[in-house]
Order: sequence, then structure tokens, then C-alpha cells
Amino acid sequence: MLLGAGAVLVLASAAPLLALLGELAATGPEALRVLASSRPWMLLLRSLGLAAGTTLVAAMLGTPLGVVIARFALPLRRALWAVHAFPMFLPPFLLALGWFHLLGREGTLGSDATAAALFSPAGVVGVLAVTFAPIVTSLVAVGVLGVDASLEDAARVVASPWRVATRILVPAVRPALALAAIVVFALALSELGVPMFLRVDVFPAAVFARLGGVSYSPGEASALVLPLVPVAIALLALERRLVGPRAIAVGGVRRMSASPMPLGRARTPVAVAAWVVGALSAAPIAALLWSAAPALPRLGDWLGQAPLNSLLSSALAAVVIGVIGLVVGHASARGLGGARWLDGLAVLAFVTPAAALGVGLIAVWNRGTTAFVYGTTAILVVGFVARYAVVGVRVSAVSVSQTPLHLEEAAASSGAGFVRRLVRIVLPVNARGVGLAVLMALVFSLRDLETSVLFYPPGGEPMTVRIFTLEANGAPAVVAGLAVAHVALTAAVVAVGAVLLRRRA
Amino acid sequence: MSIAIRLEAVTLRHGREAVLDGLSLSVAAGEVVALVGASGSGKTSILRLVLGLMAPTGGTVLLGDRVASQDGRVLVAPEDRGVAVVFQDLALWPHLTVRGNLDFVLGSRGVARAARGERIGRILERVGLAGKLGRYPGELSGGERQRVAIARALVVDPGAVVLDEPLSSLDPGLRRDLLAMFRELLAERGTTAIYVSHDIREATALGCGVAVLDGGKIVQTGPLELLRRTPASQMVAALTAELG
Repeated sequence: MLLGAGAVLVLASAAPLLALLGELAATGPEALRVLASSRPWMLLLRSLGLAAGTTLVAAMLGTPLGVVIARFALPLRRALWAVHAFPMFLPPFLLALGWFHLLGREGTLGSDATAAALFSPAGVVGVLAVTFAPIVTSLVAVGVLGVDASLEDAARVVASPWRVATRILVPAVRPALALAAIVVFALALSELGVPMFLRVDVFPAAVFARLGGVSYSPGEASALVLPLVPVAIALLALERRLVGPRAIAVGGVRRMSASPMPLGRARTPVAVAAWVVGALSAAPIAALLWSAAPALPRLGDWLGQAPLNSLLSSALAAVVIGVIGLVVGHASARGLGGARWLDGLAVLAFVTPAAALGVGLIAVWNRGTTAFVYGTTAILVVGFVARYAVVGVRVSAVSVSQTPLHLEEAAASSGAGFVRRLVRIVLPVNARGVGLAVLMALVFSLRDLETSVLFYPPGGEPMTVRIFTLEANGAPAVVAGLAVAHVALTAAVVAVGAVLLRRRA
Repeated sequence: MSIAIRLEAVTLRHGREAVLDGLSLSVAAGEVVALVGASGSGKTSILRLVLGLMAPTGGTVLLGDRVASQDGRVLVAPEDRGVAVVFQDLALWPHLTVRGNLDFVLGSRGVARAARGERIGRILERVGLAGKLGRYPGELSGGERQRVAIARALVVDPGAVVLDEPLSSLDPGLRRDLLAMFRELLAERGTTAIYVSHDIREATALGCGVAVLDGGKIVQTGPLELLRRTPASQMVAALTAELG
């Protein structure tokens, strides 16, 4: 069974990375000339700088907020977490669109100065940092809730709550913080929609232009993604060193209500600061809602099949990722042979910038014999599985690692084979963890633009691509309306998923 | 300076369930009391009330002459109570070395950096861990970790210390040695202590008074010999019968 899941993972994730090398060999040295000019290197440096800036700001916002939400007596902290976290389930360019409706020259709060700030590298960092900060917040908060309560209690009897937070809790969740930083950096480096919308040239846009734009040249695109490969490998090495098999608690965490620490006199300023960050998350969505109002009655004409395409491809991908995640995640948690390599491959595919992975996927699947995949929704499913399999693998692995091995050993000693143990013991016991993995894979696939925009099939465009392609020249109210529809679709999926997961709890 | 610990008519409810039901307990300054009771009898809850990590639903917790908690409110924050703790799982901070674990406590109590090294060295020597300063908890044996936890609790000369079955995971020989060491350390300092255990034999080894907890109340207190001779209930009789 591990062999089967591994084969699917290798086909989805490793084949495109290997195919990139094949493409280069086929196109020859001509394509490599694109790397001889300074422009791609400048763009790469800028992209790396923007990703680093985004990571830094997101960590500065998310780390204190995560600790405060998890362990301090802050008013309405569950609501704050929900409001703050929701944007991470949305395509970042939708939020850029919202900020445009708010701060653009014609925006509700806009002026020449706000528009100039928004349409700049600093604007890109700002939008992406607010969008991705919830990733840091949530991983830190879950990590803090996973810290053994007695470690905190032992510190509380000698130190102030502030000292407990900074000296005990934050160091204890360093792996969670490192994971968050790597995820944010990888997503920011892959980001195509926000910089393109805010008119900031970045490396992924140069690759995209050679695959579907005015500078069409797939050979050059293959050459261009070459410098991204060492970046991905460096991120993988960092992930192995700083996070690796350490568990970031997603199950077995304390309840938030378990004796939170008092904020004392800092309660009001901390609450105000926390809710300001929460408001930053909600502001662009509110602006989209406001701007979309005139177009809402006619929205059905513009939506077409896009919501269905999105849901179908994302749901199929989520199921495949759920199965791969259970099998590989279980193997990884139990230290079975080969699982570490498969886990590393899944991480590598995720941290590989989407442009590079997308070019590789095109190289593998864009051929006559595989037209039944490349010309249909199946290619979106393959793309999502390639990029987001890590979500299933890691979430399931953490869940399995927190359940006693004795449960499986008892089943084995009663005569149950591997598959029977996996299906009858591991899956039901970890139903919540696996369910969370499926939900996260579904949401990540729904929000994907960077991969799907490179190879969506004719007539099968998902919502993100529909909105992105209309963004440049569609009526602003219609584009805002489509964005609101995407927000509503995501909210519905998250809400249904949360209810189902809560029932399992 | 040692402080007295008093719980007066303390009740504690988790939802509808009464964990403690009008419990009163008094430990004089410098006294060591073993709090004995079955699993789930509320022993750990008493320690958490004393530490200020939870508030009693009703009643009063006094530390010395200060009202520390009363009727659902924690009036003195845990870090201001001067009560140290050794948890059952020891709760050594895994990202800090032995020195770091002790240094954090001294720093939190406002001990000047220059004075910390000497105090850490002294207590570690006392518990037989002088050469382990730079080790992380994960690099120590079970007995060594226990000693670090005890050293961490006593390094600031707390007014009182509470111990929640800290030796339950050790083999009998090591447990006996550590109990003897702990008895000496408390006697040297005259520190007030509540030692929670489900094993009355540990009270024998500590040579201290015993309080027996049953049904959310203290059913009997006194020297072990008194409990053995005139048990107040069948439960106490069964407990002391273990001693033979």
C-alpha cells in the first residue's frame, strides 16, 4: 500500500521535477541564453527579497498574536482567531484586489499617496504579510496549545506571564515557528497574482509570460526556472534541519479555556493591538463586499462553470491527498522504510516555486498519449496533488504520531494485516486528523492560482483563474463580485468542514 | 523564610462534579505534610490551588497571613506566591540546559546575574549534579532529572514547596535515596512542604505528618503512628494496613 501511494506521489511530484532537466536537454544551450542577461537574476533577487520581507513581517505580526490568542485571557480570542485566520484560505490576489478597492486612487480610503504605496514592492510585502501572517499565528497558537501544560505551570509559579511567554512558550514552539516561516517564504516566492496585480515585476511573472503571454517560449521558461531549483533544495534542507520529524501538535492540544494567563494592565492595549491586526485581515474582504454590491444580481452570468470546476478538481485532489497522506503519513510517523524519502519529496514539491513545478508538469503531461489527463480537469487534480500532498502527509503524520502504537500492535497480535490495521484502526482513530488533512488540501487547492493558471484545461478554468484573467480588463464591480463569490464558496467549505470535524471530536 | 499554608472550607467544582467539598487543611511554617489519597481524590487540585494555577469555587487559600485566593478569584498571582513546585512529570524545560533551567528561576525572582552562578553551583553540588551544568534534560537519566527538578524548586529558597508524586516513576531503591535527600534538604532549610502521594510508605520515608484525603475532604491528619493506631475511617485503616 505504501508502494502504491508512493508511486502516485512520485508520479505527481517527482516526475515534473525530473522532467525539467529533460526539457533543458531537449531545448539545448539556446534556452540557457536567457540566463546570460542580468534581468532574470535581478527579478530573482527581487522575488527573494520580497519573500524574505513578507516572512519577516508575517512573523512579527503572527508570533505574538499566536501566543496571545492561545494562552492569554484576551476578550473574544476565538472570534479574533477566526477573523484573522480566514484570509489564509483565500487566494492572495483577491485580498490585493480588496486593498485596491480600499486604498487605490478611487478607493474608499484612497488617495494618490495610498495608491503609490500599494502599487510598490512595499505594497506587495504588506498585502502578502497580512495574508500570510495567519499561517504564523495559527501554527504558533497550535504549537503553544501543544506545549505540555506543566512546562508552562512550572514557569508561572516563578515568572510573570510575559516572561513565561517569551522565555518558555516561544522557544518551545521554535519548530512551529520555523515551519511557518518556511511555508510563508515558499508561498510568497511562488506568488504570481499579487505582484502582477500591483504592477511589480517578479520572477514567477517572467516564467508565466513565456508560457502564456506575449513572450511565449516554453524552452526559455524551462531554463528560467533552473535557479529556483537550488532555492527549493535550500528550503528543503532548512525544513529538515529546523522542523523535520518534530511534531507540531494538531491533536492532543490543550483546550484554549484551560486557565489562560492574565494580561493585567496590558489587557486593553494588547486587545486593541490584536484586534487591529484582526481588522487588517477583514478590511479587504469588507471592501470587496462593498464594491461588489452593484454586480451581485447579475453575478450568475459571469460565474459560469468556474465554481463547479474549482470544487470538482479541488475535492478530487483532496481525496487523493487524504489517501496518500494517511498511508505515507502513517509510515512516516511509525518510521517505516522509505517514508522519510517520500515525506522529503512532498516537502520539496511544496517549497519548489509553483512556476518551476508547473513547467515540469507541462513537460510531463502535455503530450498526445496523455491528452486524456492534460486536456481535462485531471491535470488540475494532478497539479494540486503534486503541490499540496505535503499537507496530507504532515497533518496525518502528526495525528498518527500522537496515538499510541499499542493500538496497532494489539490489532496486529490479534491477526489483523497491515491494510486492515490501517483501515480499521489507524483511520478511525485518526479520523479527525485525516479529516483536517483533507479539508486543508481542499482549501489549498481551491485557493491555488500559481499552478492552475499555467495549464488549466479549455473550458475547465477554476474560479481563481476566471477572476485573475478578468481582473485586468473586467468591470471592477463584476470582478469584485466574483471575488466575493469565491470568498463565500471558501467560507462555506471551511464552515461545513469545521462542523464535520467537530462532530468527530 | 518559610510560610504557613492554610486552606479553609475550600470547595472546587468542575461543572456539576464536586472535586473538593469544604476541605480544610493547615500546614505550619517549616512543617512537611504528606497528602495521601487514592487516584482522582483531588490531591493535584489542592496543589494547583496552593500554587494559584486555579481558583477555588468557594473558600479561602491563605499563604502566611495573606489571602491568596478566595471564592473564585486568584488574588495573588502564581509568580508572587513564593511557592515552588515539583510536578509529577518534572516539567523540565527541554530547550534549556540544567544551568538554564535554574537560571530562569533565579532571574525570574530578580536574583542578580553575578550571584546566580554561585547559587546554581551550590545547589547542584548539594544534589550531586555538579558536573551536569551544560546538559539538556533529554541527556540526563531519570534520577538525574529528578534531582534537577528538586534543585530547581529549592534554588530560590522558596517559602514553601509542593511536590506532586515526583518519584512515582522511579524504582524503589532510587526512590528511597531521593526521599532521604529531599528530607535532608527540607530540614536544612526549614521549608514548608506538601508532598502528594498515593503511597503512604513515602510518608514514612519522609518522616512527616500525614493528611488523608477522601471524598473531597481531609478525613484525618496527624503522625503516621496515630493514623495506624486510631484510623478515622475504613479507608485510612486500609491505607495504613499497607505498612504492615
